Amino acid sequence: MVQLVGPLRKELADSVSSCRVLVVGAGGIGCELLKNLVLTGFRNIEVIDLDTIDVSNLNRQFLFQKKHVGKSKAQVAKESVVQFCPKANITAYHDSIMNPDYSVEFFRNFALVMNALDNRAARNHVNRMCLAADIPLIESGTAGYLGQVTIIKKGLTECYECQPKPTQKTFPGCTIRNTPSEPIHCIVWAKYLFNQLFGEEDADQEVSPDTADPEAAWDPSEAAARATASEQDGDIKRVSTKDWARSTGYDPVKLFNKLFKDDIMYLLTMDKLWRKRKAPLPLEWSELQKQGEHSHFSLVEEMLGGGLKDQHVLGVYGYSQLFSESVKTLSSQLAERGAGAELVWDKDDPPAMDFVTAAANLRMHVFSMNMKSRFDIKSMAGNIIPAIATTNAVIAGLIVLEALKVLSGDLDQCCTIFLNKQPNPKKKLLVPCALDPPNLNCYVCASKPEVTVRLNVSSTMIQTLQDKILKERFGMVAPDVQIEDGKGTILISSEEGETEGNNSKFLSDFGIRNGSRLQADDFLQDYTLLVNVLHSDELGKDMEFEVVGDAPDKAPTPSTQEEGKNITNGNKDSAQPSTSSTGNNMHDHRKLLDAETGEAPAKRQRLSQQQHADNEDDDDLIALD
Amino acid sequence: MVEKEDAIISEEEAAQYDRQIRLWGLDAQKRLRGSRVLLVGLGGLGAEVAKNLILAGVKGLTLLDHELVTEESCRAQFLIPVDALGQNRAQASLERAQFLNPMVEVEADTDKAEDKPDDFFLKFNAVCLTHCSRDFMVRVDQLCAPKNIKVFCGDVFGYHGYMFADLGQEHQYVEEKPKVVKQSEDANDGPEAKKPKVDPNETTMVKKTASFCSLKEALEVDWMGGKAKTNFKNIPVGYFLLQVLLKFRTDKGRDPQPDSYTEDSGLLLQMREDVLEAMGVSIDLLPPNFVSYCFSEMSPVCAVVGGVLGQEIVKLARACRMGTRRRRRPKQPGPS
Repeated sequence: MVQLVGPLRKELADSVSSCRVLVVGAGGIGCELLKNLVLTGFRNIEVIDLDTIDVSNLNRQFLFQKKHVGKSKAQVAKESVVQFCPKANITAYHDSIMNPDYSVEFFRNFALVMNALDNRAARNHVNRMCLAADIPLIESGTAGYLGQVTIIKKGLTECYECQPKPTQKTFPGCTIRNTPSEPIHCIVWAKYLFNQLFGEEDADQEVSPDTADPEAAWDPSEAAARATASEQDGDIKRVSTKDWARSTGYDPVKLFNKLFKDDIMYLLTMDKLWRKRKAPLPLEWSELQKQGEHSHFSLVEEMLGGGLKDQHVLGVYGYSQLFSESVKTLSSQLAERGAGAELVWDKDDPPAMDFVTAAANLRMHVFSMNMKSRFDIKSMAGNIIPAIATTNAVIAGLIVLEALKVLSGDLDQCCTIFLNKQPNPKKKLLVPCALDPPNLNCYVCASKPEVTVRLNVSSTMIQTLQDKILKERFGMVAPDVQIEDGKGTILISSEEGETEGNNSKFLSDFGIRNGSRLQADDFLQDYTLLVNVLHSDELGKDMEFEVVGDAPDKAPTPSTQEEGKNITNGNKDSAQPSTSSTGNNMHDHRKLLDAETGEAPAKRQRLSQQQHADNEDDDDLIALD
Repeated sequence: MVEKEDAIISEEEAAQYDRQIRLWGLDAQKRLRGSRVLLVGLGGLGAEVAKNLILAGVKGLTLLDHELVTEESCRAQFLIPVDALGQNRAQASLERAQFLNPMVEVEADTDKAEDKPDDFFLKFNAVCLTHCSRDFMVRVDQLCAPKNIKVFCGDVFGYHGYMFADLGQEHQYVEEKPKVVKQSEDANDGPEAKKPKVDPNETTMVKKTASFCSLKEALEVDWMGGKAKTNFKNIPVGYFLLQVLLKFRTDKGRDPQPDSYTEDSGLLLQMREDVLEAMGVSIDLLPPNFVSYCFSEMSPVCAVVGGVLGQEIVKLARACRMGTRRRRRPKQPGPS
C-alpha cells in the first residue's frame, strides 16, 4: 500500500530527509532553491557563497531584506530559512568554492550538488570536483526571462566542459586604443584607463595610441620603424600612466587634455587610419568650460519629468565636469590608502562608475558617437544581466524536481529543460531535451584529456602559460606543470615560491619546442591535462595562443552586446531576439550557462593573481613635448 | 479602476528594481506600481504568487483566505511562522509578506471569498484564485472579465498543477515584430531585392487584439463534438485530472489529504470513472496511478506554477507587451 508523507511516497521522503546536499551560490537561484529544498523535506543542506548582499539583489533574492545589505549571503540565507523551517540543518560558508579546503573528499560527502552560480570559472571548477568525486551535479542558469537546468553525471552525460564555450569577446588592442567605432570600445577603454590610473596596471590594458598599429602604416616596415623611433627618441619618456598622473598630482585638467586632446592629435598624425574613417575631434578643457558656462543645463527639468536620474545623457560639458570630479575623488581615495595602493573597479562604487561614464562618453564624443546615459554604460561596463524573481523561481523548482529523480535512482528520466519566454509552436513553455552522452574528446572528462596549443615558444612566458592558458583558458586553479622530457623537469609548481624564478622566462629557455608535451595537473581538482605544444610565429595580432580545434570566436555573449540594446524606454524586448522556433530558442539558451556577471574582483577571489613582469614591459608611451 | 500612476520614481525604487527595470523598462515598472491585485488562497501556490507579485512591486496586494493554519499548511508554505497554528492563514502570512517589499501595500482579509459581494472584486485590476471551488471560479470569471478585470486561476495537486487566464473578449496588447524594410524600385538590384527583407535590429510595435475564452467554456468543452475529437492527442492528462480534482473539491469541501489517503484515493478512483464517463471520453485518458501523485502541494511544483502565474500577472500589470496567448492547459478549441 502506498504511504505518503505529504506529497511524497515514503521511501523518497525518507531519502530526502536523510541525505546531504550542497548548494553552490545563495543569490537569485540559490534563495529560491533553498526554500524549495526545505519545503520539500530536505534537512541537511550546506550552502556556500562568497558574496555580500547588495540593494539591487532585493528584487528577487527574497531571503534578504534591506537591513541585511552588506552581510554574507550564505549566512543570511541560512538564518531566513531556519525561521520558517527550524528543523532544517543548514551549514553556511561565506567563502569561495574554489578554496582548497573544499577538496574532493568534501564533495564526496554529498548525495547531490546543485549549482546556483553566475560565472564560468566556478562552474568549471565545480564540474571537475564533481567528476573527480563522482557525485551528480545539477547545473542551471537564468538571464531575464530565460532559464535552463541540466544534469551532469560522470560517464553518463556530457560534463560542463564537453562542448567548447565561446570565450568572452575581447576587442583588438588597436580598436580600443586607436580606432573605436562602437560605444563598447570606449567603455572598455575607460575601464582600462581606470586601472592604469588608479588600479592594477595591466600590460594588456594600454590606453595610449598604438603606434605599432599595422593599419596605420602606409608601408609595412613603417610601422616597425615608427615604433622603434618612438622608443629611441629621447624626447619621449617612457613612464607608466600612473607615474605620469602622479607626477601631475592627478590634475584633472592635465589628464583631460592629454587623453582627449594630445593623444587624439597624435592619432590624427596617423593619417592612413582616417582615410576611410571619420577622424576624431580633439577636445580642449578651457574651450569646453567657456562653452559650458553659456549652455543650458536642463537636467533638473528632465528629472521632474519622472525619469531615472541615471538615464539622462549629459552634454559634453557635463561629462567634463563629471570627469574632473571623479578624478579628484578617486585620487584622494588612492592617496588615503598610502603607497603602492590600488583601487579595484566596482560598478556599484559611485566615483568609479562616474569615472568610466565620463571618460567613455568623452571618448565617444571625440569619435563622433552618440553619448550614453550612466544607466546604459553601467549595464555594458558592469556586464549586468537583467534578472527577475519569477524566472529564478521556476528554474529552482525544476532543479528540485530533477534532484528527486536523481535521489530515486531515476537518472534515465532526467533531462535538460529550457524555460522559454513564450510557448513554442508545440505550445510548450518548458521544453525538455534528452541529455547528451560525454564527449569522448573532452579535455576535462575524457579518460586521458589532451589538448594542442599553438603558440610562439620564444615569446611566451611561463607566467602566461600559467595564468592565461592553464588558469583562464583551462580553468585550473593551482596548476603543477612538468615537461614530458623523460626527466620530468618541473616548469611550474603550485607551491608558492618554488618556481617563481621561472615566471618571466620563455618556454624555449627550457628546451620546449614544436612537438613538446607538457603535463599539467591540478591536484585539488584531481585533473591532469596533457598539453601538446605547436610552435608558430604567425599568430594573429593580439593573440598569445590558440587552442587547436576550438570553435572560432562567436557573437558576443548576451552580457555585453545585447544589453546595450536592452535599456531605456522599455519598448525593447529582452536580451534574446523574439522568435517562435524551438531551434533558435535552444541556441540562445546555450549562452545562459555561460553568462557572466561583472562582479567586482574584491567580492570574489581573483582567479589569477597577475604578477607584474619586470620593467621591460611595454609601458604606455607618453609624448612630452 | 486604475489609479493614476505616480510619475516620479524614487531613488530607493530605482536601486531596488534596477535589475528588472533593465529588463522591462522604466515605464513598465511605473505601470506595475499602479496595479492592485487580489489573491485568494494562501497555500503553497498562493505564497509563491504573493512573493512574486510583491517582489515585482505592484501597488497593492490583498491576501484573502478564511482558512486556519494547520500543521500541513505550515509545512507547505514559507510565509507562515511555525508558531501560528490555529491563526487565520492570510493573517499569519501578512508580516513576512510585507517584509518582502515594504513599498507594496499588503493587507490580509480573513473573510470567506464566496461570501464577498460582487463589488468587492471590482476594486482590483487583476484577480488570482487558488484553492477555490469550480463554481466560485466560474462566478468570479463571469463577473470580472467583461469589466476588463483580468482573471487568473491556479492550483497545485501533488506533482500536478495548472493555471488559467481569462484576459477578456477583447484583450489589447502590443507585440514587437522585426521591421520589414521596403525594397527599392531599382530593377538593377535583381530578383533577390524584390523579397521583403527583415531587419533583425529594427523592430516595430504592432497593436493586436486577442479573445480569450471563459473558464466555464474551457471546463465544459464537449469532447464528443467533432472539433474536440481531433485535438485529443494534444490535450495533456492534466485537463482530465483537473476535472476530477475539482469535483472532489466540490463534493468534499477540501482537497485530498495524506492523512486520509486510503479513503480519498478510493473516492478519487470512483470519481475518475464518473467524470470521464459523463464527459464521454475513455477512462484510459487518465491512468489510475494518478492517485499517488496528486496529494498535498509539492513545493517545487508550486514554485514553477507560481512563477509562471506570477509572471503572467506581472506582464498584465506592466501592460506594455503581449501576454502569451492561451496560458492554460489544455489548449482548447475555442473560436479562432
